[in-house]
Amino acid sequence: MSWNKVAVVGAGLIKMGELFDQSYEQMADGAYRAALANVDKGTPIIDAAIVATQRGSLWGQEGIGGNTVPSAIGLSGIPCTRVENACPSGSDAFRIGAMVVASGVHEVVLVIGVEKMRDKSTQEGLLARAAAGHPLYNRGETAPVLFAPFATRHMHEFGTTPEMLASVAVKNHHNGCLDPYAHFQSEITVEQVLASPLVCSPLRLLDCCPQTDGAAAVILTTAERAHEFTDKPVYVAGFGVATDHPYLHEKTTYVGLPATTAAAGRAYAMAGVGPNDIDMAEVHDCFTITEILDIEDLGFVEKGKGGPASLEGVTALDGRIPVNPSGGLLAKGHPIGATGIAQITECWWQLREEAGERQVAIGNGFALQHNVGGRGSGVSVVNILTRNR
Amino acid sequence: MNTQPDATAAPDVRPVGIVGVGAAAPSLRLAAKEPAAAWGSGGGRGSVAVCDADEDTLTLAWRAATSAMEAAGVRAADVAGLWWGTSRPPFAEGPSHAFLSTALGCSAQVGGALCSGSPHAGMEALLGAWDAVASGHVALALVVCSDALLPGIGTAGEASTGAGALAVVLSGPGHNGAAAPARLVGRVTTAMAVVDRYRGDAEAATGDAYDGRLFREEVFLPLLARAGKALAKPAGWSVSDPDGKLGGALAKALGAPLVSTNAYAAVGDTGAAAALLGAGQALGQPGTLGIIGYGGGRATAVAVEVTRPVPGAENVAGALAGGQAVGYVAALRSRGQLVAQSDPIPMGVPPGSAAFVRGNLEMLALLGARCRACATVSTPPSIHPTCTGCGGSDLEIVSLARRGTVQTFVVNQTMPPPFQAPLPLVVVDLDDGARLMVQGTSADAAELAIGDTVVLGLRRYAVERGVPVYGYKAFRVAPATGDDAADSDVATMTSTRKVAP
Repeated sequence: MSWNKVAVVGAGLIKMGELFDQSYEQMADGAYRAALANVDKGTPIIDAAIVATQRGSLWGQEGIGGNTVPSAIGLSGIPCTRVENACPSGSDAFRIGAMVVASGVHEVVLVIGVEKMRDKSTQEGLLARAAAGHPLYNRGETAPVLFAPFATRHMHEFGTTPEMLASVAVKNHHNGCLDPYAHFQSEITVEQVLASPLVCSPLRLLDCCPQTDGAAAVILTTAERAHEFTDKPVYVAGFGVATDHPYLHEKTTYVGLPATTAAAGRAYAMAGVGPNDIDMAEVHDCFTITEILDIEDLGFVEKGKGGPASLEGVTALDGRIPVNPSGGLLAKGHPIGATGIAQITECWWQLREEAGERQVAIGNGFALQHNVGGRGSGVSVVNILTRNR
Repeated sequence: MNTQPDATAAPDVRPVGIVGVGAAAPSLRLAAKEPAAAWGSGGGRGSVAVCDADEDTLTLAWRAATSAMEAAGVRAADVAGLWWGTSRPPFAEGPSHAFLSTALGCSAQVGGALCSGSPHAGMEALLGAWDAVASGHVALALVVCSDALLPGIGTAGEASTGAGALAVVLSGPGHNGAAAPARLVGRVTTAMAVVDRYRGDAEAATGDAYDGRLFREEVFLPLLARAGKALAKPAGWSVSDPDGKLGGALAKALGAPLVSTNAYAAVGDTGAAAALLGAGQALGQPGTLGIIGYGGGRATAVAVEVTRPVPGAENVAGALAGGQAVGYVAALRSRGQLVAQSDPIPMGVPPGSAAFVRGNLEMLALLGARCRACATVSTPPSIHPTCTGCGGSDLEIVSLARRGTVQTFVVNQTMPPPFQAPLPLVVVDLDDGARLMVQGTSADAAELAIGDTVVLGLRRYAVERGVPVYGYKAFRVAPATGDDAADSDVATMTSTRKVAP
């Protein structure tokens, strides 16, 4: 039996990309307006907001909590709290927003994710992070270093090939072409992926997600009040969070992400479903190898079979379990705090069968959203949504 | 020209033993003709050793000292005094000695001294250690002579000055219950207040202040000959040779062959390390040996009796051999004399912060936290107040193994300065069960594989806000499948480098 105490009654995002002409505040306002515009009826009065921004402490929002956003979107005065939990910041803000609504303290809650990735140069931004964390250990850890070791080991143990990795990028770029909000909207081929420059072996440029500015927002209310705003509410069926030792040398395995497995287990139990009940999933594909690990750790395919499954189309729009119909992080982009909320928005559209050309078949009525992050895989969040009441 | 009276003969001395020796050379080699061609002077013979961007006098000293202790079969914790001679300590003023002793694993109470100020510093370190051992205050002493000289751009020094290190372990009578294979048996120091090569406080590179002919005829040859002649005549000489020609003339005057030719040919003039480094290989040959070090207007001659090969001497030639040939531009970049005009991106935690102080101590000493309940070793201790295996709090701080196998790795191709791509990052399963993730080296990038055997060596990660920052890197010493041919892990750290044809 699913949890179903809270419903999503509005969701929206702005077109992702290198939004050099938009400020953090303008992106936030755009996302909020988009979510409001997608509310079917009535006007929700926002009681409180949860903001997800991960890099804000580095990107010019130093020491600022959640207060930037209410001011920017015309809601100054409401309670607002900022959530920062690495790459799952957005999905964790969603989970926390749902718990706030369920607590009865606030009835209508805005969960909004905003991230400025391109206000600093790559050199001063992501690359300068290569000495973050312990002052001496782990130096040289740019973002791909957090996942490429898993690819090296997955290839070693299961025979996963560069073509299998590439097939993930090809699929997600194809899906991105069908998503007007995606950062990239161009088809690529396996050959193009394999011919792209090595970034961090064995990962090549097209195995990596871009640096994307973006924002996304959802409006939550109680299951009881959901029908004030829509005839097609989507309910929070369950969620799970799990942590793991954050540093790479502390992992117990290099062919899976235990945080994902544990978070998924908790979410499945809360929703009363299993992996075979999920109609589609938006998962964390910051790199191609990550999606292969995800679909194994989430239980969609057997451990070690993620590569062949991707190559064979199991995760395509018409496959057994469509994964990342929005284009995923690889094509839609990864504005960190906004990413999870944007994934939730895609699940909301898919469950309401409003996803247009990229609409997948909805049978059981369940969608799964997943992020993993924190030195790569120190924390994972899984949210499960349903249209079934 | 000298007006100071000499002692008439070498004083009586108390001999001490040499029980192990180790040498190190940096990774790069610069042909002397490269700078000559760049400055249009033509000519130039042989090559000199140049530090890669992550090497300096400290990393060379660490490797030579580690090799010497390994050869002697002594533990760093048993070394009572560390004497380090270098004309270029990594901190002109700062914790040079403490960084080296900590990285070597010496006890916090280790004695000794840092000798510097001129290339004579190597001999001063040797004499200081000798006195301490002879007096009985120190049972086991470690002497390290190292230098990574920085010649002035466009000077003749570019064709002759190199980098390298030699370390010896000295012991009083009765170490290991056996007589030492070699003994220091005679010594004399003589001085002459002249300015030859020097470097002022504000100057980065060493300059040539002297007239070459004046230096040769009136300073170097008479001063060193006087020191050498005060010793009983040995079978061979290792001598300081600032320009690569003076040594031969001196040996002729002293009437015995040079043994330091090979080391000079391999790495060039290594300043404070030169005289001892030149003698390293000869410590493997029974006989008598004279060593004369010069610098800053002082010459010291030391007599050595070798009764049987000193452990480690057989590895000295190998430690100096090889190296990757680089051009003049690459050498200038590695020496920090050619710097891009761009704003440095601030990296990491400032070296002045408390976080750096905590992290640096556990990195230099390579520490882990071992759980007394489940034996898991969590690394590094500062971020693990509890065990990563069982969550327990009963932890003991341990020194980690320096060897392990590759669990997994990547090769990062997109790195901002000060990193150099391609940069491997390696998850290493150490032989003691601990696991670390550390940088590898560009030289290993093409061949690195899961299951390879690696050893950890000290390197300079960066110079941040003017402060050198050190840590360990993984060096591939054996492939995943195949025989383990490495005799000395530390000695092979540069031999895996490919020498360009």
